[in-house]
Amino acid sequence: MTERASRLAPSHAAAPPGALTPAQRVTLFLSRIWAWVFLGVMVLFFVVAVPLTTGGSVNFLTVRNSQNILVAIIPVLLLGLGQTFVIIAAGIDLSVGWVMSLASVLSALALRGAFNSGVPLFPSVLVGLAAGVGGAALVGFVNGVIIAKLKVPAFIVTLGTSFIVRGVAYLMSENTTVIGLPADIRAYGNDALIYHIGGEGGGLYFLHRPEVGGELLRRMDIILPYPVIVTGFVVAWAMFLLHRTQFGRHTYAIGGSMDAAVRSGIPVDRHIIELYMLSAATSGVAGFLSTLRYTAGSAVIGDPLLLSSIAAVIIGGVSMFGGAGTVIGTVIGALIIAVLTTGLVMLNVDAFWQFIVVGTVVIVAVLIDQSRDLIMARAGGRVRR
Amino acid sequence: MRKTSLLAMAAGLVLALASQGAEAAEKLKIGFLPGVVDPFYQVMQLGVEKAAKDLGIDVVTQIPPTWGVEAQTPLLDAMVARGDLNYIITAPTDKDQMVGPLQAAVDHGIKVITVDTFLGDGNYGTGPVKFPLSYIGSDNTEGGRISARGLAKAIGGKGTVYINSTNPNVSSVEGREKGFKEEMAKDFPNIKVLGPDYNLDDANKATQQTAAVLAREPNLAGVFGTNVFSAQGAGAAVVNAGLGGNVQVVAYDATKQAMELMDKGTVSLVLAQKPFDMGYMAVMFAAADAAGVTSLPRRVETGFAIIDKENVKDPAVARFIYQVPGK
Repeated sequence: MTERASRLAPSHAAAPPGALTPAQRVTLFLSRIWAWVFLGVMVLFFVVAVPLTTGGSVNFLTVRNSQNILVAIIPVLLLGLGQTFVIIAAGIDLSVGWVMSLASVLSALALRGAFNSGVPLFPSVLVGLAAGVGGAALVGFVNGVIIAKLKVPAFIVTLGTSFIVRGVAYLMSENTTVIGLPADIRAYGNDALIYHIGGEGGGLYFLHRPEVGGELLRRMDIILPYPVIVTGFVVAWAMFLLHRTQFGRHTYAIGGSMDAAVRSGIPVDRHIIELYMLSAATSGVAGFLSTLRYTAGSAVIGDPLLLSSIAAVIIGGVSMFGGAGTVIGTVIGALIIAVLTTGLVMLNVDAFWQFIVVGTVVIVAVLIDQSRDLIMARAGGRVRR
Repeated sequence: MRKTSLLAMAAGLVLALASQGAEAAEKLKIGFLPGVVDPFYQVMQLGVEKAAKDLGIDVVTQIPPTWGVEAQTPLLDAMVARGDLNYIITAPTDKDQMVGPLQAAVDHGIKVITVDTFLGDGNYGTGPVKFPLSYIGSDNTEGGRISARGLAKAIGGKGTVYINSTNPNVSSVEGREKGFKEEMAKDFPNIKVLGPDYNLDDANKATQQTAAVLAREPNLAGVFGTNVFSAQGAGAAVVNAGLGGNVQVVAYDATKQAMELMDKGTVSLVLAQKPFDMGYMAVMFAAADAAGVTSLPRRVETGFAIIDKENVKDPAVARFIYQVPGK
C-alpha cells in the first residue's frame, strides 16, 4: 500500500519547502488549485461566449442560472460526498446510484403510507426521509461488513450489492415509479427560501411564492430552493466531519496506510463499516430529495449518476489510491460538471459534448495528481508509490 | 401647427408601437426537448425546424442522451435558465415525475406544449395537470387497439402473444399496452397476452427479453413491440431464433429497420406515427398562442399510417416512414 503520511490532510500536503526548487513549488501550487482555475476559466468562457453566440439575449452569469446550477449539482454532489470519504480511505462504492434509487422508492412508499394513514404532511415527509436514509444506510452496513470482516474487495462487493439493490428497488416500486404521493410535497422539493422580482412592480418575498403572472413571473428569480439548503447543510456537516474530527483523521490514516492505521490502534473494521454507511446515507438523502422534486419515487432515478459522481470526486482531487482529498474539491468537481452542462445548453451545443469534456478532465485530474506525487517523491522521498 | 405636431407625435407613437410589436414577434423563441435520441424524435425535430423556418421563429434544441427524468431535467432547467425562451415543446419522460420540473418552467413564465407523451392523464382542460397549453400526439390507446387487431389477423385469431415495451409510467407506451390488452380481451378471447416486459429504451435488452420468452413459450404466435427499441429488439430476437415468418411481429414506429424486417416477412404490420406533424404543429401552436389565439385545442391527435406489405410501395403511405436526411 502507498505510504502517504505526508498527505494526511490537505494542510499538511506539502513536503518541507526547503527541499523543492521554485519551479517545483509553482507546479505543486498549481496542481492544488487547478480545479478552481479550470472552473473559473470555464465560467469566464461561458460568460463571454454565451452572449456572443445569442446576440446578447442570453447571459450566463445571472441569478437564475446560478440557482439552476445549484439545483443541478445536488444528486451528483450528494452521491460524491460519501464517495469522497470512501475513496480517501482507499475504497470505492459502486452502489451509490442504485442506493439512491432504492432510497427514492422507500421514501416515496413510506411517505405515501404515512400520509394515507392520516399523518399530517410535514411529519409524513420526515417519515419518508427516515425510511430513505435508513434503508440506504442498511445497504451501506451490509457493504461495509462484507468488505471489512470478510475482506472481499470493495469493488466486487459494491458491484454486487448495486445489482441486488436495483432488483429490490424495481420489485418494491410497482413498475419503477411510485405514484399517488400527496401533491403538496412538490412545494418541499421545488419551492424556495427567497423570491425576487427585479424592476418595476417587483419586490422581495420570503418563504412564499408571490401570486403574480405575465411579465412579473418571467422576471421572478427563485433563490435558494429547499433542496439546495438541505444539501448545503450536508456539505457543511461533511466538511466538519472530514477536516475537524477524529473520524476524518482516521479516514485519511486508513487511506494513507492500512497497516499503519491498524498498528496505531484505529478500529479499522468498524471505521470501514461506518464509511460505507455514510456513503449510502448521503445517496439516501439524494434519493429522498428526488422523490420530493419529482413528486414520485423512481427505481431508475440514480441509474445515470454513478459515473458522474465518481468523476466529480476525481476532478476534485481525491486520489484513487487513497489518503488525499477534500470535501470542497468534490463540490468543485460537481460544479464543473453542472456548469459545463448548463453552459453547453446555453450555447446550444449538443449535450453529448459534456461527456467528452468531462472524460478528458478526469484523466487530466489524475495526471496532475500523479505528477504532484512524483515531484514530492523526488523532493523529499517522503511520498513513494 | 400644433395640430400637425400632435398628429406627428401620434404617428410616431403608432410607429414605435408597431415596430415594438414587430420586434417582439421577431423575438419569439422556442425550446425543443424530446425524450431521447431515436429516429422518431429526429423526424419530429425536422417538423419543428421546418415550422420554425416557415414562421420565422428561433429554436433551441437539446436531446437527452438517455431516456429518463434524471437525463431530461438538467437540460430542461438549463433551457429555463437561459431566460429567453417563450415556449418549450417537450415529450415528458414520465407522466408524473416531470410535472414538478415543467411546472417550474411555467413558474418562470414559459409556456409548455407536450408532444408524443403527456403529463397526468393528458386532458389539460379537465384532468389533474392543467398547465400545458396542448398535447399533440398519437391516440396511443387507439394505436394499441389497431395493433391488436393487426396481430390477431396475422396469427389467425388464436395463440399466445407477447408485449415488449420500453418504460412504465410513460403515457405513450402505457396507452399502447392498455389499448392492445383491451382489444384482445374484448374481441379475441382465444388470444393470451403475456407481458409487458420493459427494456428501458435499450434494443439489446428487448432482444434478450424476447428471446427468453421465445424459449419459454415455444408456441408463441406473435409479438407487439410498443416503440422503436421494442420493435427492433423483438424483431431481431425472432430473426435470431430462426422464427421469421412463424412468429408475427407488429411494430410501433416506422423505422428503417422495421421496414427491412417487414420486407423479410418478420414484421407483418407497422404503425407509423406522425412525428413530423407533431413537431410542426407544436411550433404553429406556439406562434398562434403568442399572437393571441385563444381557441387552440388542448389535445390534438395526429393519427397513424398503417403500413403492411401490400401498401408499403404506395407513395402516399411510404412517405410516413421515418426518414432523416443523411442518416
